[in-house]
Amino acid sequence: MNKKPLAAIIDLSINNILSIKRALEVVGFETEIFNKKFSTKKFDLVVLPGVGAFSEGMNRLIKTKLIDSVKEAINQDKKLVGICLGMQLLFKDSSEFGHTKGINFFNGNVEAFSKNENTKRLHIGWNNIEFNKTNNQDIINYFYEKNLQNEYFYFVHSYYANNLESKHEMAFTKNNNLKFPSIVKKGNVLGLQFHPEKSGKSGIKLLKFFL
Amino acid sequence: MIKRIISRLDIKNNFLVKGLQLEGLRVIGYPETFAKEYYFQNIDEIIFQDVVASLYKRNQSKHIVNNITNDIFVPIVVGGGIRTLEDINDILLHGADRVSINTQAINNPKFIEESALKFGSSTIAISVEALKINDEYKIFTDNGRSPSNLNLYDWVKKIQDLGAGEIMITSINNEGTGKGFDLRLVDEVKKICKIPLLAHGGGGKPDHVLELFRKTDVDGCILSSAFHYHYIKSIKDNKVLETGSSSFIHQKEFDDLDCFSIEKLKKYLAENKINIR
Repeated sequence: MNKKPLAAIIDLSINNILSIKRALEVVGFETEIFNKKFSTKKFDLVVLPGVGAFSEGMNRLIKTKLIDSVKEAINQDKKLVGICLGMQLLFKDSSEFGHTKGINFFNGNVEAFSKNENTKRLHIGWNNIEFNKTNNQDIINYFYEKNLQNEYFYFVHSYYANNLESKHEMAFTKNNNLKFPSIVKKGNVLGLQFHPEKSGKSGIKLLKFFL
Repeated sequence: MIKRIISRLDIKNNFLVKGLQLEGLRVIGYPETFAKEYYFQNIDEIIFQDVVASLYKRNQSKHIVNNITNDIFVPIVVGGGIRTLEDINDILLHGADRVSINTQAINNPKFIEESALKFGSSTIAISVEALKINDEYKIFTDNGRSPSNLNLYDWVKKIQDLGAGEIMITSINNEGTGKGFDLRLVDEVKKICKIPLLAHGGGGKPDHVLELFRKTDVDGCILSSAFHYHYIKSIKDNKVLETGSSSFIHQKEFDDLDCFSIEKLKKYLAENKINIR
């Protein structure tokens, strides 16, 4: 029997990681959970999930030295996926509570929807995604191959990534008229603003991309 | 954003129960079986409401949630008997995404603020149960058992001001009757409600849901009996149900209950240009 691929899940202890663990197991991963620095060497995928405040997320990453593991995964060119806050932490900084520095892998900063007029302060619920097809990347092709391009995905957030270089924006979503990146990618690092582990059967299909 | 179709499963002692106007509960099956079927039919969200938790001061549905999140990957809301920040934390660690609070929010409104600050607004939904008496809405607690002295409009405003992320409005008069949503109630709440609003109580036909979405600006609807009865009727093998429900479905009155599947409802709404998943 073939060995199952192995995923490391980073546990910042600010949210529930049960669903993401179970979703990864459903698609065929074996999972290990880490709440402090670990070696990413043996893993096929590193998952950085998260819900909540940017500053709290960064503080925990630094305090637990998990940030070193994230950087190690990036340096080893591992597959890494940031989900929701986990995606946002990969950006340069956030304007939340003044200013907080992020991991600085993606250019761009994280901002509050509330700074914009006519947007919902809290973007919560199911929404669709639109693709930047000029970025001819495997993740976009995957959506079309699996017929996921018109599916809805589940979002819960009040901050969004801004000023991302367009070559790293795979797809965007709209909060009223404001477009924000919902899938970002650079090298082997992918960021999802929505929650695949809460997006029903479409979310599960999407997670198979990482197999 | 699309309109959400949500199923509510009322739980008592680990069984799925259903009542009429929040009273006269009867056992209709195992919640895990029903929840899995609803997930399979593309439900957008599932609410587990422990209907006696507030009375007995403990919530048992978290154990059910912990089991079903092995198979179900949509947002899960748990309500019933939530009194402390520790209760919320415990329920979230069992796999829920949000909690719904009624009684404790009324007894101690500051609890809304504290829980929204600690867990984020998006995690905190407030359930409002309204009973219309002499053309006036009264707010109830303990799953429709005890009246409060709150005014509907002041209470909805206060819930928002304290930082809740969502309101679920239940019409006690219409709940379990299948005679349609109380559109006036929903509309009056929506007028002052800037956070997402979900309507519950009375949805017995696909037309009721269509009417709700056409005439009010709600974000979603919560249905229970219509989906439960449809699922029971569709099961040939009564073994997957437990004894309480099999005797229930052999009663003559069961044949007269209105019911429809999630798939049928969604298809009907989509045909009528309602934006759904």
